[in-house]
Amino acid sequence: MEGLIAFWSESGIANFTPGQLLMMGVGALLLYLSIVRGFEPLLLLPIGFGAILANIPNGGFTEEGGLLYFAYHVGIETGVFPLLIFMGVGAMTDFGALIANPKMLLLGAAAQFGIFSTLIGAIALNFVPGFEFSMQDAGAIAIIGGADGPTAIFLASKLAPDLLGAIAVAAYSYMALVPLIQPPIMKLLTTESERQIKMEQLREVSKKEKIIFPLMVLGLTILFLPAATPLVGMFCLGNLMRESGVVDRLSNTAQNELINIVTIFLGLAVGSKLSADKFLQLETLGILLLGAVAFAIGTATGVLMAKLMCKLSGGKINPLIGAAGVSAVPMAARVVNKVGLESNQHNFLLMHAMGPNVAGVLGSAVAAGVLIAVLG
Amino acid sequence: MNSISEQIIEALGIMLLGMGLVFVFLTVLILGVKLVAYKFAPQPIGHKALAENSDTASAQGVDPLMVAVITSAIHQYRAKA
Repeated sequence: MEGLIAFWSESGIANFTPGQLLMMGVGALLLYLSIVRGFEPLLLLPIGFGAILANIPNGGFTEEGGLLYFAYHVGIETGVFPLLIFMGVGAMTDFGALIANPKMLLLGAAAQFGIFSTLIGAIALNFVPGFEFSMQDAGAIAIIGGADGPTAIFLASKLAPDLLGAIAVAAYSYMALVPLIQPPIMKLLTTESERQIKMEQLREVSKKEKIIFPLMVLGLTILFLPAATPLVGMFCLGNLMRESGVVDRLSNTAQNELINIVTIFLGLAVGSKLSADKFLQLETLGILLLGAVAFAIGTATGVLMAKLMCKLSGGKINPLIGAAGVSAVPMAARVVNKVGLESNQHNFLLMHAMGPNVAGVLGSAVAAGVLIAVLG
Repeated sequence: MNSISEQIIEALGIMLLGMGLVFVFLTVLILGVKLVAYKFAPQPIGHKALAENSDTASAQGVDPLMVAVITSAIHQYRAKA
């Protein structure tokens, strides 16, 4: 009988707290969204499962010595996982569209306004009783507006580790919701005739240009913004491996096996931060709200900048491509293409939108560098 | 309350600084890309199209087998009709 009681007191049923059950529900919701709805399954699936594992009573996954503890400690606390992902993304990114039309970098810059305006929004939220965001917290929350998962995790691990779970979940959820959030904003800010504008075909880009580009980006970062070199440096390394053409094996590993392995552990480790005591707080609600606002403002300023460039260029630029200035590669570019096709069935904007899209990745990395330099 | 207002002003400063830096950084990058393009961009399209044209023209000239095949096909088609 004593054995039975001991067994019972160790069982899950006897030890559940309501918070843990609720967080398992959140984990199950993430699994549902990834499996049934297909929202960013590569990340939401491991994050959702990690959330379930982290909330098992007496499971010990997140305590010192547990698997998730080590995954978090080794990969995220140090910032290593997001940087490895960034190298893989660099190896997957083709800057051709951007090099052919470098003005698109301005769109990538304009869309970062979402980040910095949310910084103010997060501080202003302190007027509401119950919120106490420090400037560091606000910076980490604001980066959600960059719509770039690895950057958000990297910055959050540096500035506000306590909020990392909520920030990562918000960042990836909104990236998955790009096709729902962006089109209404894009349509609101553009006229039908603007959406129909056809853009000139992009020129060809030589191999030399593509090789020099990552080196130039790295050089500029070293000169002006050393705080961004972890992110930009790994990104440029991946891209140089791709474009140089002499290390195809390394490039393939970076954009396939390595990024897959890291994604599994990154997802689990982020999920482990979704424990009841850390996540079930008023602050989480604020972060989710601010993230959505950041994202919407970024999209809007991107489109407005593109409208301005359209006017200045005499109607050669379709304002829709500005929306791709938030990173979320390649989802944002696809959304631009889709909205463009709705107005004109023969207008394919995908390649044109890839320019601002990859510019957005650089832009948000630079913005993250600025935030680290100022707040870190 | 006062300290929150001060923080907002500080955040405003970071916003101006941040957006400024992002724009300066990416504008310098635009200039860099243009400079590299000036030096290393592939040759203009007109030149290349001309070269391609002459290629196809010469290809047409030296393939008698293809001419024979088409001729015989036309003959067969006319014979049927």
